[in-house]
Amino acid sequence: MEKAKIDAVQLFVLIVLFELGSAMLIPLAIDADENAWLAILLGMAFGFFLFLIYHALYKYYPDMLPTQYMQKILGKYIGWALGFAYSIYFMYASARVLRDFGEMLLSVAYRETPLFIVNLLLMFLIMYTVYQGIEVLARTGEILFSLLYLFAITGFILIVASGLIDITHLKPVLEEGILPVLKVVVTETIYVPFGEMIVFTMIFPYLNNPKVARKIGISAIALSGINLTIVMAVNITVLGVDLTKRSQFPLLTTIQSIQIANFLERLDVFFVLALIMTIFIKITLYFYAGVIGMGNLFKVEKVNQLVYPLGLVVLLISVSIASSISEHIKEGLKVVPILLHLPFQIIIPLILLGIAFLKSKKKSKGSSASDA
Amino acid sequence: MPIKIHRKRNKKLSKKERIQKEVSTFNIPDEMLSDSLKENVEQMKKVTGNSSDLKIRELKGNDFVNLTAVYIDGLVNNQFINEFIIETIFNNIEPYPDLEENKEDLFERIYAEVVASGEVQKFSNWKSVLQELMGGSTVLLVDGISTALVVDTRGGETRSVEEPGSQVSIRGPRDGFTESIQTNISLIRRRIQNPNLWVETMKIGKVTQTSVAMMYLNGIANEEIVNEVRKRLKSIDIDSILESGYIEQLIEDQTMTTFPTLFHTERPDSTAGNILEGRIAIIVDGTPFVLIAPAIFIQFFQAVEDYYARFDIATSIRFLRVLTFTISLVAPALYIAVTTFHQEMVPTRLIIAISAQRDAVPFPAFVEALLMEITFEILREAGIRLPRAVGSTVSIVGALVIGQAAVQAGIVSPAMVIIVSITAIASFSTPSYAIAISARLIRFLFMLSAATFGVYGIALVFIFMLVHLCSLRSFGVPYMAPIAPLSPSNLGDTIVRFPIWAFTQRPRLIGNKNNKREGPHQKPGPPQSRSLKTTADDQGDTS
Amino acid sequence: MIRKLQKLLVPVLSVLLLSGCWSKKELNDLALVSAIGLDKNEKGKYVGSFQIVNPGNVVGGENTGGGSKSPPVTVYTAEGNNLVGVSRNASAHVSRILYYAHTNIVVIGEEIAREEGIMKLLDALDRDPNFRITTTIVIAHDATAEQLINTLTPIDKIPANKILKMLRSTEKSSGEHLEIKTSDVLEALVTKGKEPVVTGIRATGGKIGMEMENIQRTEPSSAIEANGIAIFKAGKLIDWAHGRSARGIVWVLNRIKEADVSVDWNNEKDSIVFEVIRQNTKVTPIIKNGDPEINIHVEVEGDIGEMQTAADLNNPETIKKIEEKINKQIKNEVEKGIAKAQENKSDIFGFGDSFHNNYPNEWKKYENEWNDTYFPELKVNVTVQSFIRRTGLRTKPFLSNTK
Repeated sequence: MEKAKIDAVQLFVLIVLFELGSAMLIPLAIDADENAWLAILLGMAFGFFLFLIYHALYKYYPDMLPTQYMQKILGKYIGWALGFAYSIYFMYASARVLRDFGEMLLSVAYRETPLFIVNLLLMFLIMYTVYQGIEVLARTGEILFSLLYLFAITGFILIVASGLIDITHLKPVLEEGILPVLKVVVTETIYVPFGEMIVFTMIFPYLNNPKVARKIGISAIALSGINLTIVMAVNITVLGVDLTKRSQFPLLTTIQSIQIANFLERLDVFFVLALIMTIFIKITLYFYAGVIGMGNLFKVEKVNQLVYPLGLVVLLISVSIASSISEHIKEGLKVVPILLHLPFQIIIPLILLGIAFLKSKKKSKGSSASDA
Repeated sequence: MPIKIHRKRNKKLSKKERIQKEVSTFNIPDEMLSDSLKENVEQMKKVTGNSSDLKIRELKGNDFVNLTAVYIDGLVNNQFINEFIIETIFNNIEPYPDLEENKEDLFERIYAEVVASGEVQKFSNWKSVLQELMGGSTVLLVDGISTALVVDTRGGETRSVEEPGSQVSIRGPRDGFTESIQTNISLIRRRIQNPNLWVETMKIGKVTQTSVAMMYLNGIANEEIVNEVRKRLKSIDIDSILESGYIEQLIEDQTMTTFPTLFHTERPDSTAGNILEGRIAIIVDGTPFVLIAPAIFIQFFQAVEDYYARFDIATSIRFLRVLTFTISLVAPALYIAVTTFHQEMVPTRLIIAISAQRDAVPFPAFVEALLMEITFEILREAGIRLPRAVGSTVSIVGALVIGQAAVQAGIVSPAMVIIVSITAIASFSTPSYAIAISARLIRFLFMLSAATFGVYGIALVFIFMLVHLCSLRSFGVPYMAPIAPLSPSNLGDTIVRFPIWAFTQRPRLIGNKNNKREGPHQKPGPPQSRSLKTTADDQGDTS
Repeated sequence: MIRKLQKLLVPVLSVLLLSGCWSKKELNDLALVSAIGLDKNEKGKYVGSFQIVNPGNVVGGENTGGGSKSPPVTVYTAEGNNLVGVSRNASAHVSRILYYAHTNIVVIGEEIAREEGIMKLLDALDRDPNFRITTTIVIAHDATAEQLINTLTPIDKIPANKILKMLRSTEKSSGEHLEIKTSDVLEALVTKGKEPVVTGIRATGGKIGMEMENIQRTEPSSAIEANGIAIFKAGKLIDWAHGRSARGIVWVLNRIKEADVSVDWNNEKDSIVFEVIRQNTKVTPIIKNGDPEINIHVEVEGDIGEMQTAADLNNPETIKKIEEKINKQIKNEVEKGIAKAQENKSDIFGFGDSFHNNYPNEWKKYENEWNDTYFPELKVNVTVQSFIRRTGLRTKPFLSNTK
């Protein structure tokens, strides 16, 4: 753990940017057709619940990294191994998002550029940022946050102004009942983006005022959930369900549809900028969590020495996990949620919380007994 | 192996020692004055190499006393020496009985009664005497006394207070700092007439012995930062300080950056304003540029006039400055990216127009832009260095060569000329030269990345720049404050400028205790009582 | 620190400098395609015509002398088995890379639209990242797409721009045509209970349009004009709607911006012209006695544009009477449009889609037989309400005082 502190605003900003990263760009929850927005909102409700689990764990050990308190809860060896698994999980997740990013960029504008080069450049930037530490990342986040919202509001005004929104696209509501929506929630939105909040268990210990963590977390999840809902609803009202479903990046297609006064058109750059800004924060946070996890487990004094070797590992993983975009996306939607997200985001934290609860109860009982 | 390392270390150490010795030879002999006047004068001549501007005036108007005044010509106020030292001594010292026994008395009398000056000091070691002498004081030596009287007679030719050349304003005071540290301190004092305005002076530079003053408002400036500045200034060990730029480069937090982490100004009103916000001014003798620490990024977009104009105007001008700064950073890069990667972004007719212009151009857009930018930088540099009389010739040749001939010859496209000109003009409109010049440098990085990766490259470099800016600190204060870390109460003086009556707090430069700037209810309004209105008005305005 | 930075900088710089620029395309190496024409030849191969802008001849700079000597566009034609193949074959004729991001018009030949349909053509356009899905689609009426692409036009030097502007201006002034974008067509094709319509374009005068002479005359012998609305069914062109029925379709689609409606007065035919300024059409699906029905309500606002007869416009009663006539006239047009669609068994209005949205359960019953069974029999109730807001600068026409 480095010696650094972030404040409430910075945590808020990081959570929002992290949640929006990549989730804003993909056809999130589109399997629920017209009801995608509902699936996101329901996912958000589950997200609150997950966040409360993570927060409860944090409250038991407010100034320890998860890699540390796992050793407290589960014993030295199992805890260490689990912490190691988490660090690997975070790094794998960062590699996945990096791959997402590279694929997007290549299919949007840079068809002839090798994936490796595109990923390499972003990874260099990320390594530089992680090297500078969490405080610098948090401050950068604050600026990117305001820029992103500036873009988002401008974009929204442009979409409305060019008369693209057709509310009837959102109808019919709940054509097949609530079940298909719930299915999407359970298989998709709960993990991406809301379950990904697990990464913030590595960030909470840096908070300068632990009391605000819950309030900040809930409000940040609410804001990002509502924003994602709006983005998806706008996509569907502009493009219709079918086109949204067929688009790799519906937001890009939506932005491309903007046409004002024959001058403002093809504003793809907005998309590319939003893409880089949010994804940058997302990968950096995942990678940072992986790096400090590793540093903590192997008791490295200067954590940022690990940045360059681990960064190269992430880079190599990102290019080698899949051979095509279809394979990559299939893995992301079918394999990873069940095999990785479900245990790491939900099951293990629940077990940890259970044991921590029992332990603390035993302890308080023991101490009260000794007092008496 | 270990022996070798040991030897190497030894060698290094000895080299260090040698340097230390070399520096110390510049030091003045730390000896006491002798009581023989003749010996003292000889010693003085020897130390100064009998320089021709060392004036030694022997005062033998009186038969008994051997008095000698020594001063450096040009550093002193000659009139003052004539009237208040030489003349008073001639007039007041009468033959003194038992001179040999009463030498001490006589010396005391001269010190207490004869020399009519505000500052007279007694020194008996050569170091201080010579230092004062070189600073412009006059040294009075009395035969038989091993103490010298040092009279402050500083004066001589200095530039008068003029309008600053680098920070011009339409509205606002017309005075600017000069090369004299006394004048500069007094210019600030006149603006803040408060005993809490503290000045600490020190001599920095082993050889030059330059006076450097720290100026801050006690109780408002953060003590930690004051201590930090003092510590950094004290730890400077260098032979010479010729300009505040030396100090700036020796005390900044981070050297691997193109962004300035200390602010410098030529304007006393700007300095006073910064001191009132709790910052510390570092004034260096011999230069009109005063350093201000700590500096934050947004400060370089604040011109003094912003505070003199009303807030609506000031705010829109701030917006304009941020826009021009952005233009000066990315305009050529964006043009390159758009014309070589993202042609789809440009409206059809515009792309046809640009395409028609570029048809004959033999270079890729990046090379074209680079050529133009470099040509422009050469012109700009030449324009600064050339004598004023030739300056206009350069601009005419430049305009003709670039604007006309190159376009007609089909070497560059008119669109590129437009872009480069806009960039140039934009970079001139940034109020701080220090930040404009760093933008000039980064612009080339942007251009390179745009030429290789289009908008993606620009975005990467932009985020890289943001991360870098966020990682900077100036004396511990985050450079991007108050935006990141966010400090909502201080946002009023950033990209927007709130009305003066809304500036209730000083910037929070880490734990600043005294933040309250103004009382409540400062918003002005029309008079509440109607009695202030004339009766004629009353009749006209019956509301 | 410096060493650390070097570690970072060296690889970054070497990547930047050594790797070159993969996706880079200099402007001088691009052929800006302004319009694409798609046909099929006798051999059953696709024929693509690419209208490429000659930028120097469009922008009349000092050196080019107004660009009148050579044409502003050049057309290349190529054939192939699929669209990507056509495009690659065409590039064999062109010294530059064909660049589709500024393609404003796609012209589809009537033959190919009738025989093969437009479905297959659209995928390549939809998939390509350069191609804009906001590009306008038109059908070459009574002509091959190549003919239209080849016609030069005066005033607007690039023919593609001329077509686009013409569509926009006629959509605005007469209301008989529509500017239909690729995305609109795609959406209509994939939405159940909705079929696309596309405006037709015709070239008059034949081959002469290809010559430079054509644009050097005050009265061009060959011109491009909008002509009718093509009605599609299952992706294939089946019929054309012209004049009143075409405008009826546009009314129902709620795309009328401005239009002129003439009514008879004093037994003089078309003697009062009403200029539409604002209109809104509401389509409400209802289910009555188990049968689907559609209510269409049109609200129109406008001014009197011309009076060729005498009438007292100061009298609100007269205005009311005129309004009633206008209502009737518009209702007539709308019904004609609907009849045309029903006759062709093609739900171009998306009535089915609005049933789907509002009655998802009942829709399941109609879904499969909508176009052929339910739509042609669908009862449509049209109501029109018009408002004459102003009467222009004059009240009574001077005609009423001439006797």
